[in-house]
Amino acid sequence: MAKKITGPQLILANRLDDGRAVFLTASGTWSNTAADSAVAENEAELDTLMTVAQAADLANLVVSVTPVAADTSGDAIAPAHIKFAMQARGPSVRADLGYQVSPNWEQ
Amino acid sequence: MYAYDTYDHAMVNARVAEFRDQVDRRMKGELTEEEFRPLRLMNGLYLQLHAYMLRVAIPYGTLSADQMRKLAHVARRYDKGYGHFTTRQNIQYNWPKLSETPDILQELADVEMHAIQTSGNCIRNVTTDQFAGAAADEVADPRPYAELIRQWSTFHPEFSFLPRKFKIAITGAAQDRAAVKWHDIGLVLKKNETGEIGFEVLAGGGMGRTPVIAKSMRDFLPVPDMLSYLEAMLRVYNEQGRRDNKYKARIKILIDAMGIEEYTRQVNAEWEKIRHVPIDVPEKEVARIKAFFAPPPLAVSADDVAEVTELANANFIFKAWLNNNAGAHKVPGHAHVTISLKPHGGIPGDASDAQMDLVADLADAYSQGEIRVSHEQNLILPHVAKKDLPALWAKLDEAGLGTANAGLLTDIIACPGLDYCALANTRSIPIAQSITERFDDLKRLMDIGPLKIKISGCINSCGHHHAGHIGILGVDRRGDENYQLLLGGSGAEDASKAAILGPGFNEVGIVDAVEKVVAVYLGEREDEESFLNAYRRLGPDVFKEAVYGTD
Repeated sequence: MAKKITGPQLILANRLDDGRAVFLTASGTWSNTAADSAVAENEAELDTLMTVAQAADLANLVVSVTPVAADTSGDAIAPAHIKFAMQARGPSVRADLGYQVSPNWEQ
Repeated sequence: MYAYDTYDHAMVNARVAEFRDQVDRRMKGELTEEEFRPLRLMNGLYLQLHAYMLRVAIPYGTLSADQMRKLAHVARRYDKGYGHFTTRQNIQYNWPKLSETPDILQELADVEMHAIQTSGNCIRNVTTDQFAGAAADEVADPRPYAELIRQWSTFHPEFSFLPRKFKIAITGAAQDRAAVKWHDIGLVLKKNETGEIGFEVLAGGGMGRTPVIAKSMRDFLPVPDMLSYLEAMLRVYNEQGRRDNKYKARIKILIDAMGIEEYTRQVNAEWEKIRHVPIDVPEKEVARIKAFFAPPPLAVSADDVAEVTELANANFIFKAWLNNNAGAHKVPGHAHVTISLKPHGGIPGDASDAQMDLVADLADAYSQGEIRVSHEQNLILPHVAKKDLPALWAKLDEAGLGTANAGLLTDIIACPGLDYCALANTRSIPIAQSITERFDDLKRLMDIGPLKIKISGCINSCGHHHAGHIGILGVDRRGDENYQLLLGGSGAEDASKAAILGPGFNEVGIVDAVEKVVAVYLGEREDEESFLNAYRRLGPDVFKEAVYGTD
């Protein structure tokens, strides 16, 4: 059973092969864009998402699977805490690096 | 510089091959992350916020020009075109791919570099004075001893799983530029009354959440006894250091609990058992190591060089650079030069691949092919003829590397902070940038004089805030970045712990607070009194009043 949650949650992880931050989507895939995140509104939904995420961990697709508080108040879903919001954007001191450039900035 | 022998090459190459196999097995799923994590950490590979981070060892901060070129190549080919020089005189890459890490390590091995023991609960990279072998004030070059410690500690089977990480620093000069009193073990080279060279041994220093200044436990340890004594020190710690709580596992906690006298007694008792078994290195081997660090063939020449004086009289910025970034060399007619990696508004410690290549070329042209990294996150050309200073400065300045602020307020240490680090609570780099933008007038900086600001984005203290004349510590206050202001620390021979002045600030308020503190200093200082001495004389109240008001 998932931990008790006090608000909406999304699932954050790092890809195994390059360590880039990724977000679990409702279809069970991993996206470079936090706005694509599936959001769990309660413990049962978080359990479901974590089951999917942990399967991806076991399948060696991602590591460091972490449920984090989601900010759903704006136009796009984003991690609520600055630490995880930073993962969704990239280093604030290098505007030329990370997803703040574009979701596909390395392609 | 030390050059690998066949054993060194074989060991490092074998480690690369081993790690390549481990990465391959991880990618195939034959190793779980739980199994793989300690293996990657043993090879300096962390997982941070945006990507993996590879920390490459630069033993005692000494690099050849060719090694620097390789670091530039790695930045260009495998990373995002830059690297970050750290307070342990190492370099970190922020974007390597796991699958490419073995190739990076093989490229590094080709120039006698590696990432071994840059993480984990083992003996980390030994740090030293960035001017070692060049400084006019040193008793002896500490690097041969640092190299002996490196060889002794690398893959030491007994000390590969210590209670916690272990950091050793060594200085050859009475003026401590290596922060030895903030280390688990600090060694200070000195001469005794008969002229013999040995070490004062200090133990139990460290930063982190429990800052402690190391205590002296032996006034004079003869050089030939160094390794057996270190072995005794490590053994007592390894056996008795706490393993139940990582926050209480450093040697500083053990020594605080048992007292330095009891720790010394136990170390001496252990040493008596082992000092006659062959741990210490035979004199012939010591001489072989020392030969790698023989002084370069610098021709003695006059310290006064007309063209240098003329340019200094004509160009204030060059004059400032000469004063701040060029220091006294042991060979007359020469200087050691600090290349500031602290351009105003820049990221402390970062260098681009092009800048690294340029520094390598300048080292070949002007500094006997030698480069150093300082724990203050700058680069050093240790052996520059004074007549070459104008040409060197012009080339550095053109590449954005000529900032004349070494040792001044804007020569800030800052950890990567929340911009990169998974442990951080707040960002550090933007605070450093804001301060350097606020204090961007070189004349004002030179009027303020020596002032060390050190910024950490969490209590782990990678930014050395406890040792800052002005220290800044980032804390998470209910999800917001908040910055505490500390005053009065020192990482030098007069080491002291900075004290928190009062409640914290947001990212704008902390810069205002620093400016108010500096204004108090300028108003209250006597004659040539430094900021630190003024703080020590005045105490915190006058600063507190200026920063927080009287209410």
